[in-house]
Amino acid sequence: MQELLKQLTEHVGSIYLNYLLAISAVLLGAGFLLSSISICFGKPLSSVWKTYRSWLYMAPLILLTLYLGREATIVSVTLLSFLGVKEYARATGLYEDWWYMTMIYIGLFAVALLVSIPDPGTGALGWYGFFMALPVFAIEFIIIVPIARNKAKGQLQPVALSILGFIYLGWMFGHLGFLANSQHGQGYLLFLCFAVPISDVAAFTSGKLFGKNKLRDQISPKKTWGGSIGSFAVSMALPWLLHFSFPHFGWVELVLTGIIVGIGGQLGDLTMSFIKRDLGIKDMGTAIPGHGGLLDRLDSLIFVAPLFFHMARWFHDL
Amino acid sequence: MLNWMYSPAADLNLSLGERLKKFPREPHMWMYLLRSVIALCIRFWLKVYHRFSVVGQENLPLGKSFVLIANHQSHLDALCLTATIPFKHLHKAYPVSAADYFFSSLPRCAVASVIVNGLPFDRKDKSSESLEICRQALKKPGTILILFPEGTRSESGQLNRFRSGIGRLLEGTGIPAIPCYLDGAYGALPKGSLFPRPKKLTLRIGPERQYSREGSGRETVKKICHDLQGAVKSLRPAVSD
Repeated sequence: MQELLKQLTEHVGSIYLNYLLAISAVLLGAGFLLSSISICFGKPLSSVWKTYRSWLYMAPLILLTLYLGREATIVSVTLLSFLGVKEYARATGLYEDWWYMTMIYIGLFAVALLVSIPDPGTGALGWYGFFMALPVFAIEFIIIVPIARNKAKGQLQPVALSILGFIYLGWMFGHLGFLANSQHGQGYLLFLCFAVPISDVAAFTSGKLFGKNKLRDQISPKKTWGGSIGSFAVSMALPWLLHFSFPHFGWVELVLTGIIVGIGGQLGDLTMSFIKRDLGIKDMGTAIPGHGGLLDRLDSLIFVAPLFFHMARWFHDL
Repeated sequence: MLNWMYSPAADLNLSLGERLKKFPREPHMWMYLLRSVIALCIRFWLKVYHRFSVVGQENLPLGKSFVLIANHQSHLDALCLTATIPFKHLHKAYPVSAADYFFSSLPRCAVASVIVNGLPFDRKDKSSESLEICRQALKKPGTILILFPEGTRSESGQLNRFRSGIGRLLEGTGIPAIPCYLDGAYGALPKGSLFPRPKKLTLRIGPERQYSREGSGRETVKKICHDLQGAVKSLRPAVSD
């Protein structure tokens, strides 16, 4: 057994192996817990089971992508941003307008390109300077659409929706792909993909246990302060527990990581909630059974990824 | 400041299968692109393999809503009729397809909705509702319905009796009906065979017919069916190969 573990460690690296074991343990434990609750208390829990079952194929997919490395990660993030933008556009009605969609899609390609190619000045992976300047060009591309088609009536709304769609779901989420360029990329990404959903689950669980006062009743009536504080506490503990993911982090970075995941994750969740509430829809789509649309799953990560990226880069370069 | 008006897709909370069956379909950029590319391939193949030719293309009142009516001998029919529609109007041309056949499984649904752009027609229990969907579709300017009033593929190659649906759809409306006759499809791909044979296909498109002044009622429906059947029959060549 130890021999096998040793060989595996040599093959995939100790960080990856730790996560492989941790994720398997969490999924097995959750499955066991859910079955005991439904057997002991006689509750059917069908919606929770549905959510759980979707994790059973999402977790291996994420693990496989991160195992395959930088290129696979960038391709996956790009694909997710395309599908996410599509969901958003279908939900807002922007999808009917090919002009704006084409501009957003061009922007998404640009994100993928700038994340992939090396910086011509320094040779580092990912053209950081241009990537950061990209919103300027993307917004100008979107803004010239009404001028190009000589149309003013009702154009402000699609322009605004397109800019939000590209910046939030394309460029900000694209930072996740950029993290793959870092020498510590695998650890960062494994941590984010593991910690963000865990803090989500913590919010759900502690909300069920201690939730009384509504957090934001006009946005998401089911969320409570109890859930929010529970999630924050778990998120603050996770960077210390999973310190092996980024051994070069000092205590300041660990605290900041906890805050980013604990607060940013919930804000991301609430962001998607208010968008959905304003649109008058319950879910962004039906892509993941038990979760809703793709954006219902990615909401926290979209908010957390760029914050974590800039924090990590500020302290340690990429 | 007033609130913005959003228009979320009507099929947002439907699964993929349900979304493909739904009509009218939501606009979908990638689906249009895929359909256009496949249509280009189909047109090329019809031209080269079947030496497909069209007589009377100028009879199509493009830009207006109209109904294309043809004899039904094989699965090639809908493809041939769609191939006469210019690309600009392709995504508004809907072959009316049997829901119990073309929309019965996910792969069939995908082909019927993405490639053929079919309008699912329930010919068994809900034909009135399906006719209403057709009527609503025709209200959008530029809609083209491709309809086979025989209701199913002919097993002998002969023109069968027209069902009453087409009469009920057209009675009392000013929607032009364009009769067509596709010749050669029975020899190329009869009911029950899998691979098409390289037979020559010719489509003859007749002048448009309108039934706005006929009034309505059972007799009118019968009359329309009879008239259209005659019109389609008259386009059949004297000696069919």
